[in-house]
Amino acid sequence: MAQDISHSAGAPFWKSDTAGLYEPHGSRSLGESAERSTKHNQELIAQIPQWQEWRSNANRIKAYALSNLDKLLVEFERNVTARGATVLWAENAQEANRLVLDIAREHRVKTVVKSKSMVSEEMELNHAFEAAGIRPVETDLGEYLVQLAGQRPVHIVTPALHLSAADVGKLFSEKLAEPFTAEHKALTDIARRHLREDFIRADLGMSGVNFGIADTGTICVIENEGNAGLSTSAPPVHIALMGIEKVIPSIDYLPQFLNVLARSGTGQKLTTYTHLFHGATPGKKLYVIILDNGRTNALADKAARMSLYCIRCGACLNACPVYRRTGGWAYGSVYPGPIGAVLTPHLVGLQQAGTLPFASSLCGACGEVCPVKIDLPHQLVHLRHRAVNEPSPMKSWTERLTWTLWAWAFSSPWRYRMTMRTVKLGVRMAPFLPWHPGKLGAWTRGRELPEVPARSAFRDWWRANGATLERKQQRDSIATQKK
Amino acid sequence: MPARDAILGRIRAALADDPPLQKPPVPEVWPREDPPPDEMAERFARELEAIGGEMIRLASLEEAAAKLAELADAAGWRKIAAVDRPLCRQVAASLGDGRVDWSAEAADPNEMASLDAGLVEADYLLADTGTAMIACGTPRERLLCYLPPVSVIVAETGRLVEHMPAVWGEVAGRCAEPDLRGEFVFITGPSRTADIEKILILGVHGPKRLVVLLVD
Repeated sequence: MAQDISHSAGAPFWKSDTAGLYEPHGSRSLGESAERSTKHNQELIAQIPQWQEWRSNANRIKAYALSNLDKLLVEFERNVTARGATVLWAENAQEANRLVLDIAREHRVKTVVKSKSMVSEEMELNHAFEAAGIRPVETDLGEYLVQLAGQRPVHIVTPALHLSAADVGKLFSEKLAEPFTAEHKALTDIARRHLREDFIRADLGMSGVNFGIADTGTICVIENEGNAGLSTSAPPVHIALMGIEKVIPSIDYLPQFLNVLARSGTGQKLTTYTHLFHGATPGKKLYVIILDNGRTNALADKAARMSLYCIRCGACLNACPVYRRTGGWAYGSVYPGPIGAVLTPHLVGLQQAGTLPFASSLCGACGEVCPVKIDLPHQLVHLRHRAVNEPSPMKSWTERLTWTLWAWAFSSPWRYRMTMRTVKLGVRMAPFLPWHPGKLGAWTRGRELPEVPARSAFRDWWRANGATLERKQQRDSIATQKK
Repeated sequence: MPARDAILGRIRAALADDPPLQKPPVPEVWPREDPPPDEMAERFARELEAIGGEMIRLASLEEAAAKLAELADAAGWRKIAAVDRPLCRQVAASLGDGRVDWSAEAADPNEMASLDAGLVEADYLLADTGTAMIACGTPRERLLCYLPPVSVIVAETGRLVEHMPAVWGEVAGRCAEPDLRGEFVFITGPSRTADIEKILILGVHGPKRLVVLLVD
């Protein structure tokens, strides 16, 4: 099993300590599965003549919601509180963890069952729980698998996309003392059996929030496995974690979002369970924690505001050729793929995530599949622009020096020729150097040096033979015309 | 609360010089075709079966009760929990009190874990997607939808609607009621996952088997 190398803070994709960006087998699994997802989802979407209209609708509603975000959050808070829930606010992950632990302490919580919440990953909530002696259990099957394996999720919708069935079988036999099987149904049954106990015994259940509906104070959570239903209805206390951008103005808009999210996310018409929670169920407690954690940075950058439209479907990940090749860990952040590259710089700052927008060929596949029409390619370019003009790894003195030298070398034919000759000499000498300096070391670790042709460069050959070749061509064309 | 003020302050500052946007109209999503009930029933059955659920149409409540008893015997159900609503009462009539738990008290998940099946009533059935909407008012009603390995959903044909937008006005109206508690859950087939290699498996944490009894 690949080591957990995803904690590399800063300069992801470049960090020289990464032993390998992915486990080769896992990456093939991930790439193939991501490609299959895109194909399947696109087939389903092709059956919807109004799909483009849907995307525009969703985009417009999100734009409106964000432009009234403060009012909507206040309205949401009022209506959810009126239904017996307690609403709390947290500026950042540490505050949010503190709030959760306070609630857990108050209710003497020993075991927590968690359904999928990317916000909780941002918070690194499981670490906080474990430090406080509380046992967190991930109940979404993919999250359960990566939790057992001690790894980070590789994908926001299918967290264990990199694991083959055999990997899972091995994991279960090692960690759960189950006889080895690689049969999908048997593996799922094993997980069901083990997790059922936890659902029943847990003191606290946690969920995310897909949509927080301001006008009715309803919380919408969607899922397929039933683990969110069980996590939120079996234990006596439910905590729902919500990013500020998840609020939508009215329940009237929900069917539009449900229809685009299910198709883009999992290739379904509707997810198996669409929950509308109306505040606290009598006899149980509901807490809603509203989290900023850097989202207001994206809001303040007007050109980047649309990245907050994201409904976390994962379609851009599945479509991205870079993501398919390198997997989720290479991004070194909670959110991988195109949306990760576009959001993370706002959430953790350019200093830490400034390289992410550069890990793209700008092919545009992500922007095409986004159900809320976030212009991801332009977001990537916008952040690149910011990264080279604001403090970030892309504005380091080595970057600037390299580009200044490059600009010098390419600014005249003579300088270009001189540079190429020097490079040719350098490449020939490089294998004999005892060390590779600094960043160049990381750059060269995954690359072979190019071969230098034994014969002369094309420019030199042309200078020697080009004139002759041109004259021959002219004679031939005159001959052809005379015929 | 300092965090609340700080966050709202930052949001307001970010939005300060923005021109106001017009509130978008509610999109149509799906056009209304208003098909007849029989067509909707057929569509519902097709959609539900395509995703691994079962639909059985019965001509009367008596037939439904007989069918439920038949299912219970065939599968060897010893204990069923049911939601105490009129339709459920009638459909579970032939099962005998010993087999059905009607208690409305707060649910103990431990006790409920050994149930063979849960019987609930749907407020709406959405034909285009094979979806059933269950309104759960109490913790027990909520658990009944997820905990038992088999879920039996009973509904009258009159509850069939085309799709979500067709019934959304009513649903939205109910969601706006200030005294509303619990949850509405839209259930589309048995529980499933594709988390391992994107291979679809039915029956994860929620019910493995879903049966809808559609009563005329």
